[in-house]
Amino acid sequence: MRKKLSLFLAILFLFVTTSLAQNLVLKGGTILTITQGTIKNGTIVIEDGKIANVGKDIPIPPGIKVIDVSGKYVMPGIIDSHTHIALTDVNEATDPVTPQIWMKEALEPSDDSLLKTLSGGVTTVKTMHGSANVIGGVNVTIKLKYNRPVEELIVDDVRQQLKMALGENPKRLYGERKNQIPSTRMGNAHVMRKAFLKAKEYKEKWEKYKKAKKEGKEDLSKPKKDLKMETLKMVLEKDLAIDCHVYRADEIVWVINFCQKHDLPLKQLSHCVDGYKVADVLAESGVSYGGWIDWWGFKEEAYDGCPYGYEIMYDAGTNIVINSDSLTEGRFLFLNAAKVLKYNDIPKNEVLKMITLNPAEALEMEDRVGSIEVGKDGDIAVFDKYPLNSTTKCLMTIIEGEIFFDYEKDSVTAGRRAQ
Amino acid sequence: MSLKHIKSIFLVVLTVMSVSVLAGTQDVILIKNGTVVPVAGESISEGNVLIKDGKIAKIGPNITAPPEAEVIDASGNYVYPGMVHPLTTVGLTAYPGQRSDVNEKGTSTPQIDPYDALNPEDPCIKVTRIEGVTTVVAVSGTRSPINGKAVAMNLEGRFAEEMVIQRYTCQIFNTGAKRREKYPSTYPGVMSFIHKKLYEAQRYMEKKQKKKEENEEFNQDLEKEALIPVLKGQVPALFITYDEVTIRNALKIIDEFKLDGIIHATQNILKFTDQLAEKDIPVLWGGTSNVPDKDEPYDLNYHTASILAEKGIKFAFTQGRPESRNARNLPVPASLSVAHGLSEEEAVKAVTLAPAEIMGIEEQVGSLEKGKTANVVIWSGKPIQMSSKAQTVIVNGKIIPQKSIQTELRDEYKNIVEKRQ
Repeated sequence: MRKKLSLFLAILFLFVTTSLAQNLVLKGGTILTITQGTIKNGTIVIEDGKIANVGKDIPIPPGIKVIDVSGKYVMPGIIDSHTHIALTDVNEATDPVTPQIWMKEALEPSDDSLLKTLSGGVTTVKTMHGSANVIGGVNVTIKLKYNRPVEELIVDDVRQQLKMALGENPKRLYGERKNQIPSTRMGNAHVMRKAFLKAKEYKEKWEKYKKAKKEGKEDLSKPKKDLKMETLKMVLEKDLAIDCHVYRADEIVWVINFCQKHDLPLKQLSHCVDGYKVADVLAESGVSYGGWIDWWGFKEEAYDGCPYGYEIMYDAGTNIVINSDSLTEGRFLFLNAAKVLKYNDIPKNEVLKMITLNPAEALEMEDRVGSIEVGKDGDIAVFDKYPLNSTTKCLMTIIEGEIFFDYEKDSVTAGRRAQ
Repeated sequence: MSLKHIKSIFLVVLTVMSVSVLAGTQDVILIKNGTVVPVAGESISEGNVLIKDGKIAKIGPNITAPPEAEVIDASGNYVYPGMVHPLTTVGLTAYPGQRSDVNEKGTSTPQIDPYDALNPEDPCIKVTRIEGVTTVVAVSGTRSPINGKAVAMNLEGRFAEEMVIQRYTCQIFNTGAKRREKYPSTYPGVMSFIHKKLYEAQRYMEKKQKKKEENEEFNQDLEKEALIPVLKGQVPALFITYDEVTIRNALKIIDEFKLDGIIHATQNILKFTDQLAEKDIPVLWGGTSNVPDKDEPYDLNYHTASILAEKGIKFAFTQGRPESRNARNLPVPASLSVAHGLSEEEAVKAVTLAPAEIMGIEEQVGSLEKGKTANVVIWSGKPIQMSSKAQTVIVNGKIIPQKSIQTELRDEYKNIVEKRQ
């Protein structure tokens, strides 16, 4: 009996603490809501992991943990829609078509890259397959819940995105190194086209079979399951979206046309270095530009990279998303956003959107994250200065009301030096 | 006099006037009413900088513009010395159709001189200078145990000789340059390789001296010859390192051969602060934005500069990867370090005067002082702020057009996209 009681109490305690942990108030900060202006000396109430209230003079529910962030800047958690962190493996570089690969099966929630990325105020990322294959694996969108069970990290109620890649990487890997198709851009196009035509046939075969079965027909031979085709079928049925790695303007236009023709849900173009040259095409298609502000010339394909081009895209109405594509820069996306101001005349709040609301849109999560609004997830980053002041640092990163990074505990100044 | 005559006289006068104005931009410039931060010496609010014949002629609160001067109003803006990037490959970078001219084959190539390949038309020069980096040290490579020389230059000039400040600025070694399946393929292998080469060069030097004294003929060996100034301590030896072991090994060689050593570090440098301070060895710190080792606190590298400053170690920022075309990103490590404890003054120094001093070109560049080369940048804000714009850039006393292949791309496509919309 006593055992049972203590177990009950333990469970109750666990329940209370976890639910408490998802209730939090941040008081006194300058709140950059992104969508509804700036609130000075404002308060955010997070209940059950969601933003319950935001405003200047709002009631604080009794018994809730209150953190004083007076003098600090509070913004929505930063979103990086292209990274490769927390993965044991990145590239299944053995075949130009590998949609059977699911990156969630390489996810490592205890990987230290999660904490390091949290230190830059990042709360949501899409961690991705590499660009070796024309059709790579299915990326996984996660919340950076460091050290939690893998199920808690994966955002499972949004559409995940299949990685595709054009340009030099598949050419080099297959053409140059393995002496096989694709070794040219035409080869890339062929591989992609062939895979989706095959997937269409596959989908039709299954639909026909299911229809016949429903009609009660007998002697039906069940089509063979093909895991690659299963994934591509999901894309055709729009249960998965697409993120395509692409540099050159002609390829940007090519892949947008390809996806329109085959009715494929292309959401983001990554490494979209030449995006500014076809900003109007991007804007019209609704596909997000994903890229870095100034990785100019790190390889030949990136030679026309132009940090001054953001203004062209902004004026054209392109959804601009700043990505890190690296653990290194994922830790200071706020600084990379500040660089946009160096090279362009774009309003500051619009620049902040490039690391919050715009990537949220690219991930189809704009109703959940990317701004501080009632009803959205309690994903918050606290900075000691205005986040586009590049001498700022992140002090606290909160996901769904829980603190996952705290400068006071995680900094070298807290005395946690290596042994 | 007909109207036509008056017109042509007017045109002649106009031409003469514009020629003299153009000539004026070459000779005398007065920057007025900016917040002048000379780096060496006190800042002057509402300060002026007078530039004459490519040099800084005067700095102060009250300077009257000579009649021939081109006057630039810097009210509300900041006037700083141009930034100095001490480890780049600017001037040697590749562009489509041309491969880069760095990292020559061979494990020991101390005779390789980047001056021989310096391309004043390298597009990277314009890209870099219009963002406020006006002086760079370009290295011939860093990937062999013994690499070539490095050249210091201002990013302006038609020919290499017009750009160069100091031709033989330092000699590049790399204690981490392991090779794949070939000797030296381990760190100890690299150590013994460098050790042997320096030892042989020393013997060569002694033999040469002896032959000279005895008036005997002597066959030159260009490889060994190149190392003599290094062994004599006339040219600094810059060691590229990657981690604790390669830093330790570099310090060992510096100590053993009594070299004028400089350490380039991208990780773990704080483990050696006592030794560096005691022996007065300067550091090029290129690790600010590197991810610390797995067990280290997340911000160890962000904090490193502030600790180097605290311990009195002379240091300058680099971006870690000399091959990067984005030498213009020098304010990135400065920004990140200021966020984590470095003072703004120290950070500015670490991208201007400190790299100039470490590279031995501080008499020419690195601060706004009378007699120094006029490399001056007028900024919209503090230069270490990523959002600040370099509004006017002056190199060798010349106002640099705000143009590069990237501004050209912008102008071209802005037009195209706007028309199509």
